[in-house]
Amino acid sequence: MEYWGVKVSDIFDTMNDRFRPEGAKGVTAKFGYDITGEGKWKIIVSEGLLEVIKTDDISDCVAVMVCDGETFVGINIGKVDAANAFTSGKVKIEGDFGQFGKTAKMFKKYVPKKAAMSTRDYILDMFGTLVSRFQPQNAPQEAVIVYDIGGADGGVWTAYIKDGKCELKEERAEKFTVKLEVQDAKDWVDVMLGKVDAFSLLSAGKAAIVGETQLALKLGEIFKKYQDPMASGTPEQELIVLKKIISVDQKFSTGPVMGKFLNALKEKKILGNKCPKCGRIQLPAREVCAVCRVRVDEWVEVGPKGQVRYMEYVYYASPDPLTGETRETPYGMANILLDGCQGNDTFAHLIRRDQIDRIKGGKDDVSGTRVRPVWNEHRTGSIFDIKYFEIDE
Amino acid sequence: MAHKKNRNVAIIGVGQTKHSSHREDVNQPELIHEAVSAALKDANISIKDVDCIVHGNMELFEMIHQPDLWHVLGTGAYGKDSIRITTGGTVGTTLACASDNLVASGMYDIVMAIGFQKLQEGHTTGGITNMADPLWFRNLQTGALTGSTAYDVIQEFGEERAKRAAMMYRIIMDKHACLNPNAHRAFGLDFDQVETLMNTSPKLVGELRLIHMCSQSDGACAVIFASEKKAKELSKKPVWIRDHITIHREETFNIFGYHKNYPVLKTHKFAAEQLFKRNDITNPLEYFDVFEMYDPAAWWGLDWLRDFFFLKGDEHLRLVENKEIMIDGSMPINPSGGVIATNPIGATALLRVAEAALQVRGDAGAHQIPKEVKHALASGFGGTMWTVLMMLEKELNW
Repeated sequence: MEYWGVKVSDIFDTMNDRFRPEGAKGVTAKFGYDITGEGKWKIIVSEGLLEVIKTDDISDCVAVMVCDGETFVGINIGKVDAANAFTSGKVKIEGDFGQFGKTAKMFKKYVPKKAAMSTRDYILDMFGTLVSRFQPQNAPQEAVIVYDIGGADGGVWTAYIKDGKCELKEERAEKFTVKLEVQDAKDWVDVMLGKVDAFSLLSAGKAAIVGETQLALKLGEIFKKYQDPMASGTPEQELIVLKKIISVDQKFSTGPVMGKFLNALKEKKILGNKCPKCGRIQLPAREVCAVCRVRVDEWVEVGPKGQVRYMEYVYYASPDPLTGETRETPYGMANILLDGCQGNDTFAHLIRRDQIDRIKGGKDDVSGTRVRPVWNEHRTGSIFDIKYFEIDE
Repeated sequence: MAHKKNRNVAIIGVGQTKHSSHREDVNQPELIHEAVSAALKDANISIKDVDCIVHGNMELFEMIHQPDLWHVLGTGAYGKDSIRITTGGTVGTTLACASDNLVASGMYDIVMAIGFQKLQEGHTTGGITNMADPLWFRNLQTGALTGSTAYDVIQEFGEERAKRAAMMYRIIMDKHACLNPNAHRAFGLDFDQVETLMNTSPKLVGELRLIHMCSQSDGACAVIFASEKKAKELSKKPVWIRDHITIHREETFNIFGYHKNYPVLKTHKFAAEQLFKRNDITNPLEYFDVFEMYDPAAWWGLDWLRDFFFLKGDEHLRLVENKEIMIDGSMPINPSGGVIATNPIGATALLRVAEAALQVRGDAGAHQIPKEVKHALASGFGGTMWTVLMMLEKELNW
């Protein structure tokens, strides 16, 4: 009989290879195994040497383990907890229990032989299990996902998601929400098995995402993680990773200078303070000019209109540190030279999202796109009293 | 004159872990212990010989307060004097500077600097964003990502040439990383991929693409510093610290005016000018045999060559285009693969010093540059606008 693909005789036949003389130091004894329905074995340990015999004569053993084949194999490959099996009576030790305990250190763990799976086997198994791994609660209402896996082992599959159901066809859909293109099937297998992260493939140009990137990034939630069928042999030790989320309420005092600047925003005014030495205007206002190291007392109202000198065109969905929400992308974060300011006295803020493609930065005496602030109706003295800047037209 | 030193200091031991995004097999003290053991073995001393431990990381990334206390089991600081340093991306080079100062002062004979980070255990971009001014800029920032340098280089040299040069730089770094068994990311990129990668790699900010940006790694590095007397007793190949410099600028973002009448003073250029002037080095490109640069992205690496080496016009582009920055070129940059390949942040800048020291010793293995290294330069960079530079020498003769 086989249990988890392993025969009782496999365990005994590999004992010589797995024997650890250092674990048998000082042990000279015979131990018996009576495996119900499978037969009896005897092992003889003497001066760091081991002999394994299949024999019905185990009467001269110092201790005998009695159990069924399933339990015996299970304990040896880590599928059955030995202490529980003993406590529940599935395993009995006849004779000297203390002596038998020494066998625990004598052998390296039994690792079942793996039948190798080819890249093609993996690809077929991955797509064969895709529908069963579908998690409708994490899926969009409707989506069409094309997997274009290249190389001799690859193929093209399309997953159709609609109303909580997923259907997979071995075909290429012309209209899709997102398409994953992987040049080599082997790479995709490595990603699915967790050996390589998908970003590395994207970075190296070995894979590409066409269509809605955001959806592609959520595939790990829409489908349960692929389990390697070859990974049934238990690892040496399960590696535990503890997950924690920290959520902290914070409050920050503004001080009188920043406070004055923020208070002015409530009145739809942008106040900078001007260095008496170098003449630069600080936005937001700060108590001291860090270049000249002098106190800055003079206040001037600037803007509120101005010109964009430079805009960061942001594609990467960075989380908003204040809310943890992922920002909508793309968005534009601009350095705006408000009227009345000069040189590097720019003011950083967001640009209206639907206008970012029309923004041009200025250079030397050439003006960038003219913009004006859009004020929030309810103003509290914060950066978002200005919603964003929009093109002044 | 180099800055005044009470006594000379040398690096006598270097150790690092394999850097990776998958170090779930060890916890933080265990990861550190790998680097510490390697450095002690390299120096052929025991932890008993170390007088003081200088520990560094960015606490905000893993959110562990006083990590040096938890890490004692790995650092070996039990019963010793110990200091914790946290200066952003520059942590690693600040560790080296502090260790040099501590030994030079006469306070300790042997100091071990340990840089560490396990970026998979926290949220790096969130952490960096939380370092910004909470009253204003935190609301707008996107971690360390910026497309501004790409914009500048494209403005100055045209889109095609700029994008090509940045990708050349990136591929050269990958070729170096492939020679370094400890590097985190080594893709096996080739020059025939320049065209494809510069147009297809996913965009992050502006023309800064995923392929240009550094990794987020787990890893640790340890470097042992000794006084001249101890170094000569203990080491066959001590690497001498000649000088170092640290430059900051105001922590705001008022550098985006783009007007020729209002030039922006960059900390890299300023630091290099000050350091080389006081050491009578007029042509750094000629003087140094290798430079381990803190290059968080390909665009920065490309652009900063000009600042560090006082290059004019498009000289820095030509260095890259002609592959002069390759391991067998006239000015090898980051034979280790640099920060783009490997970035456990608290260890990253210390790795620059460690790798530079290995080059001086001739012990870098497969990524040893083929000519003799007498003079090496290492840099650190961090938020916002910090530069640290350290000069290493083979001979104690300046």
